[in-house]
Amino acid sequence: MPEPLTRELRDRLRGVVGDRWVIVDADRLLAYESDGLTAYRKTPRAVVLPKNTKEVSRLLGILSQEGVPVVPRGAGTGLSGGALADGDAVVVGTARMTEIIEFDPANRLARVQPGMINANLTKAAEPFGLYYAPDPSSQSACTLGGNVAENSGGPHCLKYGVTSRYVTALTVVTYDGNIVELGGFGRESGGYDLLGVFIGSEGCFGIATEIEVQLLPRPEGVQTLLAIFDRLGDAGTAVTEIMAEGLLPAALEIIDGPTIRAVEASVFAAGYPTDAEAALVIEFDGIEAGLARDVARAAEHCRVAGAREVRTADSAEERLALWRGRKKAFGAMGQISNDLMVQDGTVPRSKLTEVLELITEIGVRYDLTIANVFHAGDGNLHPNLLFDRSNAEELGRVDRASKEIMAVCVDAGGTITGEHGVGLDKRKYMTLVHGPEELDAMQAVKSVFDPLGRMNPGKVLPDRPDSASMTT
Amino acid sequence: MNPLAGLLSERLSKAQVVEGFGTERWAVCGRVPQAVVFPENEGQVAEVLTLSSEEGWHCMPAGRGSWLNGGQPPKGIDVLLSTDRMNEVSAYEPADMYIEAQAGVGLDELQRRASECKQWLPLDPPGGGGRGTLGAMLAVGTAGTLQTSFGSPRDLLLGATLITGDGRRLCLGGRVVKNVAGFDLLKLVAGSWGTLGVITSATMRMFPIPAVDRSLLFRGADVAAGAALTSRIAQTPLSLAAVELLVPGGGESGAGISSPLVAVRILESADAAAEAERVVVERAGIAPVERLEGEKSRAIFDNVGAMEGGAELVLRMSLLPTRLPELVEMIPPLEGLYDPRAGWGMRLAAHAYTGVLRVMIAKLSRAEGWLERSNAVLGELRRSLEEKGGSLVVSQGPPEIVGALGAWGETGPAAVFAERIRVAFDPASILAQGRLPQ
Repeated sequence: MPEPLTRELRDRLRGVVGDRWVIVDADRLLAYESDGLTAYRKTPRAVVLPKNTKEVSRLLGILSQEGVPVVPRGAGTGLSGGALADGDAVVVGTARMTEIIEFDPANRLARVQPGMINANLTKAAEPFGLYYAPDPSSQSACTLGGNVAENSGGPHCLKYGVTSRYVTALTVVTYDGNIVELGGFGRESGGYDLLGVFIGSEGCFGIATEIEVQLLPRPEGVQTLLAIFDRLGDAGTAVTEIMAEGLLPAALEIIDGPTIRAVEASVFAAGYPTDAEAALVIEFDGIEAGLARDVARAAEHCRVAGAREVRTADSAEERLALWRGRKKAFGAMGQISNDLMVQDGTVPRSKLTEVLELITEIGVRYDLTIANVFHAGDGNLHPNLLFDRSNAEELGRVDRASKEIMAVCVDAGGTITGEHGVGLDKRKYMTLVHGPEELDAMQAVKSVFDPLGRMNPGKVLPDRPDSASMTT
Repeated sequence: MNPLAGLLSERLSKAQVVEGFGTERWAVCGRVPQAVVFPENEGQVAEVLTLSSEEGWHCMPAGRGSWLNGGQPPKGIDVLLSTDRMNEVSAYEPADMYIEAQAGVGLDELQRRASECKQWLPLDPPGGGGRGTLGAMLAVGTAGTLQTSFGSPRDLLLGATLITGDGRRLCLGGRVVKNVAGFDLLKLVAGSWGTLGVITSATMRMFPIPAVDRSLLFRGADVAAGAALTSRIAQTPLSLAAVELLVPGGGESGAGISSPLVAVRILESADAAAEAERVVVERAGIAPVERLEGEKSRAIFDNVGAMEGGAELVLRMSLLPTRLPELVEMIPPLEGLYDPRAGWGMRLAAHAYTGVLRVMIAKLSRAEGWLERSNAVLGELRRSLEEKGGSLVVSQGPPEIVGALGAWGETGPAAVFAERIRVAFDPASILAQGRLPQ
């Protein structure tokens, strides 16, 4: 159990945010012991929920005076254990920071608080014909602050790019309580791209308390098609051919046979044939007049590659139905398995089929069910390893298989994580992709923002020499 | 041979070190290096930097020298290190849409290679244009007209190798578009002006060349009308590749300012391009004076970057995009600063989606009191832009002006982070000192 806060410290924190928003009861802290990656559980010492930049600054000022480590947390949907706090740390949550601070539709800009849910920003922008492009699968729950911390992607970043392309400014509070502005649309400044390096820093540099983002005009038209394949490799071929022709779909997503069967067995059944080995969802958006030809070309490539069936959607409702199997894949797997370890390696697109075969082989060798969902267009794989965390022996196999999967991705010219972040989970695998010089440079830059090393400690960078293990 | 050049040629070879007469064309903002070195591999780059760190020589990374007169003048320059002889394309995988090349590869060469596979690198940086090298373009980091549709250099940079000031070799990023394995140090490299290290190679994200590349040119009655038309067209909900207000400047006899053009670039498939054209023309309310396709369309936008060629002074004024008309209204005080009889006088180019207005002046007037007057007008312009939440960057100019005003304006409290980062990469403070605000 974590060491409780002293009465004095608790009261000082309460003095900033009010009694209600300092959580110290063991039963309420339980809600913060885990994030989307349930293999890890850690109970924080306390959780504090500020409502604006000033409060965050005052809280951090107090906590840094006392030398208490701080762990920022959004909605807790992360998949790398990045929002977990050791018993000596206090979680600063953004759950109450959900406001739009400024909305400027003419300049296609919004300034929001970090606790705002990703999908809510698009909802707010909708009446102006605008939307926020990055769309992680958890977008109905995850927060923009979390997206900034992870530099989140999503299915549509194939065409539109990841979070860092859309964040134009941040207000940041560092561990010592200082408030700093980074970036700013409509003004250019000399000097390093501190905004860029802050994005994706997983809460290790500071807490973003205000986020300015660029919105995009909603595309005039969207068309989706679904192709069903008997062989996963054929779906991969179709993807390669579509990209080689120079078509640029907004999304190119594949779910494999085991995932299809999990989805169809769940309440999320989407009507995918359960004997298929791959379902490829392709979406085009843009000027309506140009879509029909793109869709026809993509459908043709699917058929030539061996698709047994190609479905297109004529209405928004049908479009959602085609997407359902992809979007609900995680939820469906949650229904057939107690726990999921989702991996996130990225490989050059042309290596997809080869790498998937190796992953299947790893699953067989470790006697694990691995179901794959992936962003085929940008080579970002999500192998889901199904397990039961009460089975320590199985957990050990999951750990070893995970490491092998990451190594396979790195060997293919890719990396260990494309969008979920390193967090707690992958820090011990950082040495697969980075040498000591690169890790030292990362540490040096972290120290610039957080010289005492108390912002989200124990995340991203590995302990050296490498000794950590997931089962601890 | 001067002692510095002598020491360098002991480490490299004589043929890789230039001193004396040949160094003049490598002057940085008017300052001539004592020696120019042309390393042929990463090991030699590291060697030069390590030696410079030991000797305390000011070292300036460069490519072919396209951007040497841009930015803030260096504090000192002993050695200029050109990556010109590191010019191999090391890997190009069209199917994976990335290209990995040494820093000294020219952007023109990169585009030529890519076009063979119907791909391109959708970057059109101002200044050096196609003549510049990949490494220099990244170090400068400035985006051109395609920024809103494809991103800045930093957004298309997937990976890079950097030799730090003290000779460490860092491999940052990788070859894949999505990569969050650790802190994103690559972002620091783009736009670092050589102060963190020498970029020796980079991996860039490539794109398919769109089926249709079409530019529509509209003429505005005057600059204000042109700005209004630019904003009106940019407000269409279609995503246009670029909307630019261009004032090409006068002829030799020049009245300085000529009548403005609004250039709209459409990069789409055939059917979509036709529809986009229809919508743009409808919104403009007037017929285009010209319609360019393919290479010609691309050329006109490449020229937008090259408009800076031969300019003595280049300014970048920014405000939020909807305030473009206001930006344009701030131009008149600048009209007293240049010599209207010299070259094309003054040119303007504004990018509708980012709210950046570039002002290019062929030659400043040298009438008595010119320096004080120029500094006063520019200082006032910066103050007034900053007051409105914008900025003024003096991206190129005579050292007397850039030295006095600084290329960049207010840096704010974040500058303390920047300085600590710099020291972490270049502990002996030898690299491109003074090029960025400190």
